Amino acid sequence: MRIAADRILGLALIGLAAFAAFNATQFQVTFSYEPVGPKAFPILLSVVLAALSLVLVFRPGENGEWPEKQVVLKLVAVLAVLLVYALLFTRLGFLVTTFLAVFSLSRLFDATWLKALVAGVLMAIGSYYLFTLGLGISLPGGRWLPDFN
Amino acid sequence: MFDFLIQGFDVALSPLNLGLAFLGALLGTLFGALPGIGPINGIAILMPLAYTLGLPAESALILLAGVYTGAEYGGRMSSILLNVPGDAGAVMTTLDGHPLAKKGLAGPALGLSAVSSFVGATIAIIGLTLFAPLLAEVAVMFGPAEFFALMVFAFASMSVMMGKDPIKTGIGAVLGVMVAMVGVDSGTGVMRYTFGMAELYDGVDFVVMIIGLFAISEILLMLEHANRKDASDEMPPLGRVMVSLKELLYCKWTMLRSGVIGFIVGVLPGTGASVAGAVTYTTEKRLSDKDNTFGTGDMRGLAAPEAGNNASAAGSFVPMLTLGIPGSGTTAVLLGALMLYNITPGPMLFSERPEVAGGLIASLYIGNIVLLALNLPLAGLFAKVLTIPRWVLVPGIAILAFVGVFQLHSDLMAIYLMLIIGIFGYALRKLGFSLAPVILGYVLGGLMEDNLRRALSISGGDVGILWQSGISIGLWIAAVLLVAVPWLLPKLLSRKSLASA
Repeated sequence: MRIAADRILGLALIGLAAFAAFNATQFQVTFSYEPVGPKAFPILLSVVLAALSLVLVFRPGENGEWPEKQVVLKLVAVLAVLLVYALLFTRLGFLVTTFLAVFSLSRLFDATWLKALVAGVLMAIGSYYLFTLGLGISLPGGRWLPDFN
Repeated sequence: MFDFLIQGFDVALSPLNLGLAFLGALLGTLFGALPGIGPINGIAILMPLAYTLGLPAESALILLAGVYTGAEYGGRMSSILLNVPGDAGAVMTTLDGHPLAKKGLAGPALGLSAVSSFVGATIAIIGLTLFAPLLAEVAVMFGPAEFFALMVFAFASMSVMMGKDPIKTGIGAVLGVMVAMVGVDSGTGVMRYTFGMAELYDGVDFVVMIIGLFAISEILLMLEHANRKDASDEMPPLGRVMVSLKELLYCKWTMLRSGVIGFIVGVLPGTGASVAGAVTYTTEKRLSDKDNTFGTGDMRGLAAPEAGNNASAAGSFVPMLTLGIPGSGTTAVLLGALMLYNITPGPMLFSERPEVAGGLIASLYIGNIVLLALNLPLAGLFAKVLTIPRWVLVPGIAILAFVGVFQLHSDLMAIYLMLIIGIFGYALRKLGFSLAPVILGYVLGGLMEDNLRRALSISGGDVGILWQSGISIGLWIAAVLLVAVPWLLPKLLSRKSLASA
């Protein structure tokens, strides 16, 4: 299983190298006054990458341990929180989204409901004033708060 | 000859820069002490803020360099107290540091590591002051062909020294260089790998790249560690926090030797604090371990890697400032930070921007003293940082990452890209890759291609120009030797032992 991961990775990287090289050949160079255009270097890199990946396929190394199913679910949940944070960041404003993000991340990292709630409120408001007042950074939304800028 | 240093102290002693050096040292120690946040993460998180604040280049660099050196100090905390290295450079510190703590000597161990860090760093900063201007004078003679050869040498030395698996180090570096290819080609205006997305025309932004690669992937890794219960969270009592003069004198030669070795390791391109820690520890073990006490809580076994990794941090500034080739993953990030300010470090930096080069070096002297002054009396306080729970730490990192990236590019595409790079970085780390080569490749990639194309356009396309001068031939030979010797040596030795058997 461990060894298989490196083999799959090696094959995937060879695919990437082939894709990058093919892509490079498609660059439309209309005018070039240099002997080496924009294609050569990416193609050279693709060759190096393919060669190294080939070694990996034939002589796979050791990988780290893979997480258990439960942890994978949590990882996906953390990523989902970060994605939703990004999606709503400008729409709902910094304060609301940051509260939600901190609250759910704290929960995912095993805080109790109460602790997560406190962390969410404190960190959202604290960081808002730290960034806007202390560092003069403008953040999206939150116009219903007193404006110090 | 040392005009740059006088000018540098002028810069570094201004109230703003003095404050930033202090702040950097303090934050760096905290970042280093926090489990999972090493120097690169610390700098990655702070850099967008430094940039946003509109600090002048030398001030931003002073702040970030303070974070770097401070984090090398802070990394020892969790190594000694919890047997968990705070960052890659502190791995060897656990070997004798933790046994000392278990013996009830946690306090003196922290004190000793602070002093040996100070000694190691001081030796290396003096080395930096002496050698960097000399190297810069040599480097003025470098043309594009020599720079290309130098970068090949840097990658070769990195793949041999860094990480367990040279193949993966190499692949990581190539992947980094490939990311650097994205965007409009400066020579011809051709779009490369942008897939029609306007956000990618300027390439993958440096801040997005390092925050994604380091901070986001770290969040994901922390989740795994949080679910594993192997690390004991019990902190041993500190005991007396001061180290005695007798103990210090016992380690004096260890500290001096390790400082010099660490400096040399740091100067070699591509090798960083983790290599310095390993090399100094094994050297000291070979030289001084007469009674086999190393690994059981020998003071010298703690002093060696601590002096070594701090020395290498200062040493890695030598190639970064004079050649524009970072000596470590962290200096690669600092190099990128300089490029944000349109400063390309290289041989001309000392003559053209002495306030940047000199100010940085002077601030290292100051920061190092600040660090010793902070770390001796406040070791107990910094150790408390270790008890910050992850459910506070992780949302904090997430907020800083989002605000940092959003502030620089008020568009959401940058944030999505950061998340994608983060997943990618996490996968690479799980597959046994080290991220330092990736970031080194990313920072050097553009320069490497530029120099190659410039060299070939000078020669009209003749590849021979790449190995025409003595300097470049030397670099090519050194690169080949670096890769070949560790690979051939065991085979030659085993053949010899077979023949004799």
